[in-house]
Amino acid sequence: MLSRVAASFYWLSRYIERSDGMLRMLKINYASSQDTVQEFTWEPVMRIFAGLDAVEAEKLENDSRSVLKYMVTGKSNPNSILNIITLARENARGVQEHITKDLWQCLNEYYHTVKDVRLERALHREDPIGVLDVLIKQVMLYYGTVEITMERGEGRAFMNIGKYLERAIQSVDILDTKFSSISDNPDLLTDTTYWKHLLLSLGGYELYLKTYREGFEAENVLEQVVLNNDFPRSVIYSVNNIQRYFDRLKNDSNADDYREMSFQIGRLQSRIKYSSVKSIKQEGLHLFLTQIRSELYGVGNSLNQHYFANS
Amino acid sequence: MEESAYFDKYSPINNVWDEMYGLDANVREHYRKVIDYISKESADDLNKKEELAKRLFMSQGITFTVYNSGEGIEKIFPFDIIPRIITADEWAFVERGIKQRLNALNLFLKDIYHNQFIVKDGIVPIDIIYSCPHFLREMYQLQVPYDIYVHISGIDLIRDEDGTFYVLEDNLRTPSGVSYMLENREITKRLFPDLLPQCSVRSVTEYPSILYKNLLALSPRQIHNPTIVLLTPGIYNSAYFEHTTLARLMGVELVEGRDLVVNNHKVYMKTTTGLQQVDVIYRRVDDEFLDPLVFNPESMLGVAGLMGAYRKGNVAIVNATGTGVADDKAVYAYVPDMIRYYLNEEPILKNVPTHQLGNPDEREMVFKNLNNMVVKKTNGSGGYGMLMGHAASEQEIDDYKKEILKDPRNFIAQPTISLSAAPCYMQGELKPRRVDLRPYALYGPDGIEIVPGGLTRVALKEGSLVVNSSQGGGSKDTWVLA
Repeated sequence: MLSRVAASFYWLSRYIERSDGMLRMLKINYASSQDTVQEFTWEPVMRIFAGLDAVEAEKLENDSRSVLKYMVTGKSNPNSILNIITLARENARGVQEHITKDLWQCLNEYYHTVKDVRLERALHREDPIGVLDVLIKQVMLYYGTVEITMERGEGRAFMNIGKYLERAIQSVDILDTKFSSISDNPDLLTDTTYWKHLLLSLGGYELYLKTYREGFEAENVLEQVVLNNDFPRSVIYSVNNIQRYFDRLKNDSNADDYREMSFQIGRLQSRIKYSSVKSIKQEGLHLFLTQIRSELYGVGNSLNQHYFANS
Repeated sequence: MEESAYFDKYSPINNVWDEMYGLDANVREHYRKVIDYISKESADDLNKKEELAKRLFMSQGITFTVYNSGEGIEKIFPFDIIPRIITADEWAFVERGIKQRLNALNLFLKDIYHNQFIVKDGIVPIDIIYSCPHFLREMYQLQVPYDIYVHISGIDLIRDEDGTFYVLEDNLRTPSGVSYMLENREITKRLFPDLLPQCSVRSVTEYPSILYKNLLALSPRQIHNPTIVLLTPGIYNSAYFEHTTLARLMGVELVEGRDLVVNNHKVYMKTTTGLQQVDVIYRRVDDEFLDPLVFNPESMLGVAGLMGAYRKGNVAIVNATGTGVADDKAVYAYVPDMIRYYLNEEPILKNVPTHQLGNPDEREMVFKNLNNMVVKKTNGSGGYGMLMGHAASEQEIDDYKKEILKDPRNFIAQPTISLSAAPCYMQGELKPRRVDLRPYALYGPDGIEIVPGGLTRVALKEGSLVVNSSQGGGSKDTWVLA
């Protein structure tokens, strides 16, 4: 497979996964903004997904409609759904003959849906949850189409590596942001809606209820999001999958590249696998998450170097 | 038989060949079934079909992007739902004519890049050749596989008022539009279910497999699975959709210049498992940008060292570089002579009479009659930089004359040929609009094959004679009957 094609598969997949995480986060946050008596702040969302500094974020943070507009259709926001879907589609365009026609059409529809001026209007005037649901459905269609139509080859391996890398980074970022808010405001530690919304935005609420019977505890949330092998958005689940799909790239003609990266991913996997809530707390959660994040970025950089021929 | 409301209201243009409307004010027989079919549909139904066609083009991404104020706007190439129909006899004639012409043009290219007999025998003047910007000295004495230069060509045909076919231009470099031939047919299948088999329309789907077979035959390495690639300028090229379609239909790798590298006069592509040697390049990048070491040094689209590998015979390039000298509009005037010279045959397809403005006598004659002339740049394309004498103002004509005098060799003039008209569906009615026809010919080691069909371009503006997409043209599905 061409290096450029592999890189496009990887980035296509990362952008789609990012849009999925963002849309779910926006939806739950909007819902919870309707549910609070105090003023609702969008600051954490803006910090995780838009990379805005405090001053810029402050201008927007309390006005839900403006935030949604900025995050979904904002042209000036490089990480808006509109912009990342445009990038996803450009990557898909560059590998059009490698993806199925079904998948190309599906991405195209997603793109045209986001681009439609009616969407922006609806986001402003109508029920935003309905609008976000339309977009979330497009992502689900995408995943279904990949599952049903894409060949199980190298391309899909790169797609999955991209997807799980993006997912792991997101989960780490979300945890880090949510837990650091607690050090500023310890009351949140016992605020059940705070944890409920965190879990909802990661799609882990139901699993939590089934696993833990004693109500919402920060430690349990941490355990589920970092260490639960069965939770599809946990860090360990994502890293296991990165390892699994990377294994499929094993090939005689690039044994050195493979060995080097295999080592790197294996080390990261073990680091998480052989941690416990207790050891993480001893070490300091923020420090732990920072290290995991930098190792995840390291995997991305190595792919660039060893597989995408970006010199 | 009862004529339809659509046909009854149809008024053909005077003194113009109408593809549907016969001389005795009847539907021509080959259009009968289509007219009967659409007569059963209300204007509402037809509007819905038009809408469906637009949606299909859009959702399949069959679009080109127009960049406006930093933002890309997706446009579709306008499509008219009424097919253009060509009878079996007309097709047989066109097919014979194109094969003959292509044969001669290919012999001309071989000759001009080797012994230049045609120049020595005084048939084609040397200054016409050497002043052509597409004549490449780099091709001199270069041996191309099977002596084939023009593997893929799109010959533009038009019909004058009595229905005679003329060749308007030979596109021998990187002709585009074939994906529209294929996609338009797919759309028609959806718009008019069951109509195609009823009318015994010949299939066009063979095109990618014939092209693939020809590319395969060109591989310099005699191995069972040579690497064939399609070289595209990238996703921002207006024909990018076509490049992906062809790559997909043939199952070959679509590459950009940055994916390739030349080492030791061999071309390789960069893959996730290292370098892989490339044998055949179907390039959709113009000569000028193909190799920055030989041509435009600023080019980022090509591959440094490609021409060296080509000259060594380690890679085949399709079409060969330097074919532009044969579709130059000044050289065009000599094609009938080439046919007589190389083949000892009379040309089957006619040339439009062409005046070289580099020649002072002809220039004077043309300047007197500019109102009835079309003036074109010899290396122009896409309908840019043309003067349509009958529609231009005095001022435009004067300005254009000054332009010509700066470099007369760069211009030719032709009498205004009135293109034939075909019915188009416009807001509930059928209206005649001017059309041309571009069949695609594939020249391989087994000879020339032409898929029965082609691209019919149509000037959608009333009264317009310019069919180019950049000038408000659209396209139609083109049916060749069995």
